[in-house]
Amino acid sequence: MKLLKIEETLGYYLNKESGYTEIDKITKEDLMRLADLTLENEVIFDEYSDESIKNHAHQIVYKSVFSNLKNLENRRQEFKDEVSRLFLSEYERYKEKPSK
Amino acid sequence: MKKIDFHIHTLVTVRDSAFVFDIETLKRYVREASLDAIAITNHDIFDSNQFEQIMNALDIVVFPGIEVSLDCGHVLIISDMDNLPSFKDKANQISRKITRREDCITIDDFKIIFSDLSKYLVIPHYGKNPAISDEDLKKIKSSVSAGEVDSAKKFIRTLKDEAKLTPVLFSDARISDRLVNLPIRQTFIDCGELSLSAVKECLRDRTKVALTQEDGNKLFPIFDNGQKLSTGLNVLIGDRSSGKTFTLDKINETNEGVKYIKQFSLVQQDNDACERDFNSRLQKNKSQFTEDYLSGLKTVLNNVINIDLEANDRLVAKHVESLLKSAVEAHRKDEFSKVVLFDAQEFNITESNALSDLIESVRHIIENIEFGEIIEKYVDKESLKRLACELMELLWKRQFESKKKSYVNNLIRDIKKSLKMRTSAAQVEEVDLYRMVIDQRKVRRFEKIVKFLQTEKTIADENIQEYTIIAQKGPFAGAGELKTVSGARTAFKDVFQLYERPYDYLRALVAKEELTPSELYKLFVKISYRILNKDGFEVSGGERSEFRLLQEIKDAQNYNILLIDEPESSFDNMFLKSDVNQLIKEISQSMPVVVVTHNSTVGASIGADYVVYASKENDGGKVVYRLYAGHPSDKKLVSLDGKTISNYEKMLNSLEAGHDTYASRGVGYEAIKN
Repeated sequence: MKLLKIEETLGYYLNKESGYTEIDKITKEDLMRLADLTLENEVIFDEYSDESIKNHAHQIVYKSVFSNLKNLENRRQEFKDEVSRLFLSEYERYKEKPSK
Repeated sequence: MKKIDFHIHTLVTVRDSAFVFDIETLKRYVREASLDAIAITNHDIFDSNQFEQIMNALDIVVFPGIEVSLDCGHVLIISDMDNLPSFKDKANQISRKITRREDCITIDDFKIIFSDLSKYLVIPHYGKNPAISDEDLKKIKSSVSAGEVDSAKKFIRTLKDEAKLTPVLFSDARISDRLVNLPIRQTFIDCGELSLSAVKECLRDRTKVALTQEDGNKLFPIFDNGQKLSTGLNVLIGDRSSGKTFTLDKINETNEGVKYIKQFSLVQQDNDACERDFNSRLQKNKSQFTEDYLSGLKTVLNNVINIDLEANDRLVAKHVESLLKSAVEAHRKDEFSKVVLFDAQEFNITESNALSDLIESVRHIIENIEFGEIIEKYVDKESLKRLACELMELLWKRQFESKKKSYVNNLIRDIKKSLKMRTSAAQVEEVDLYRMVIDQRKVRRFEKIVKFLQTEKTIADENIQEYTIIAQKGPFAGAGELKTVSGARTAFKDVFQLYERPYDYLRALVAKEELTPSELYKLFVKISYRILNKDGFEVSGGERSEFRLLQEIKDAQNYNILLIDEPESSFDNMFLKSDVNQLIKEISQSMPVVVVTHNSTVGASIGADYVVYASKENDGGKVVYRLYAGHPSDKKLVSLDGKTISNYEKMLNSLEAGHDTYASRGVGYEAIKN
């Protein structure tokens, strides 16, 4: 799943309808969704470079979102470990109790 | 047999309530209790002048000693007279270290001060507060001769357990000029001479200690006049107004840890009030279970209570807004905003909890002694040690990295702040997206856990004779129930509307200032209790009383002695025979029980270990209350002053209204039968 792509010198992000929207239209909901996807799935992004995006506004936003998501991608294993252990003993304790 | 009391206080220290030591009282105690040896053991002090005065005043063996306050419990150190100067020096070192009530020393300091503990008699608090911890006991166990307990019940229990220390029961008394009842806690030891080494040798053999001289551990002294009772089941009989209840009251006053079920105390008068009272008692009695059951939710809640998803949302919004603004205002970039650090992100600092847990788990395996052999069959401990070392090195490295990152982050923050002050370009607000997502996951998991809990289900049942206590969990039915559980004076109508949505409900509860955050875990799931009779129906009024009696008797396990005054006054014979007798008999296997009764179902059928007959007598115009005691098979019961009465006659009189009634009753039943 490609979350960020660069086409014809503009930056785009994957929207919730599985299409792509220009990166300077990104909202807080979009950013949280992309963060979620990055931590949960194998995802890819087009690498950022000053040359590939010409629009200044797109450069700034794409660069920031890209580095944020890249950072999360590197922490995916840590995230999985942390989530799998979240309140695990309590979860098991209250879930597993057989009914009498 | 020699009678000893090696725990006596004669000085007021910071750990004692005020009292005035009286040598005459000590002389009286030694004389009337027929003691053969004592030890003076004041808290963290040894006063050689006073000790000399006591020794000169008494004609029995007196040992110098001290009760040392360790951080893990108290321990008695008793010395030989030959070793007195060295002991005095060590006791002074203790006194210098412990000057305030909150002071204490560690077991390691204690070992350094007393260097060679084998020279002393060492007796830690064992079945008695503050008791020494198992871990610290291990460190001095080779020098320990016995463990001090504080009741006959614990003495017997400890004595029966071969794995435990030899128990000793001492008075721990403050010898005050106002001492009314003399101490009744002493120990008999089967010891020839009373030297410290002989006593130590003797205490190492658990068969050589006893609660009484002639009857070993079957009897124990209950009053300072020498009256004894069985360490098992005692039946106290006698005519009306012969001093039976007076005797129970006196036992209650002069002993510690007494469970006393008074006559008629369990009979209900007003049905509705009793039911309410009964239910609230039940909830209260079971509060520990509720607490334990909800402990997991409490842990989760302590974590989730600080998560504010709305605030997180605002942070993300601020980040996106500032990012878009900075993109739009790209043309405003100047020399300050062009500095790379102007929009730099801070380093992530991850906590190494998983690694710390792993190291702890490896350490557990390495340090485990109990299953050491099995562990070594499969894993080489040396490899485990190397693993632990490598993991620890990694942890230190990570911690060092985290410190460096944290330092750099502070620096970045300072630089960004300074640059921002000098430019008109918009700066991008930082956001920790990782934390935001984790917080969401936490909330999701919390909501799932609460939903599990709110599903109606029986979570435990406990049988007490023919009754069953059922513990159930489920959702609260309304705001009123929340109010009752919280005990707070606030309305819950609004928050209850959010009850179906646990996280929103939690936020609403947090916003209520009247509620204590640490108590909120009680407001998510209702834990209720019901008592069912043997047919599976809710209990009736009479059954409630029966159940309460059974529960009170069962509760007695947490005490040192159980007293029951005329259980027959509230219950019928069938219940007494089938349930009460069985439970009393059972509990008397592990603690002394005294039952006052006129009822043959209790008195004659229960299988007592000891019979006591209370009698009001006229001795030359003076009213005297006497207790006659003996084993159930004894023909005669004997009083302390040597008077005797017929056991058979008194049993028949007290329990069957005399021989004639008993005989004619038999004839009557025979007639009906035929």
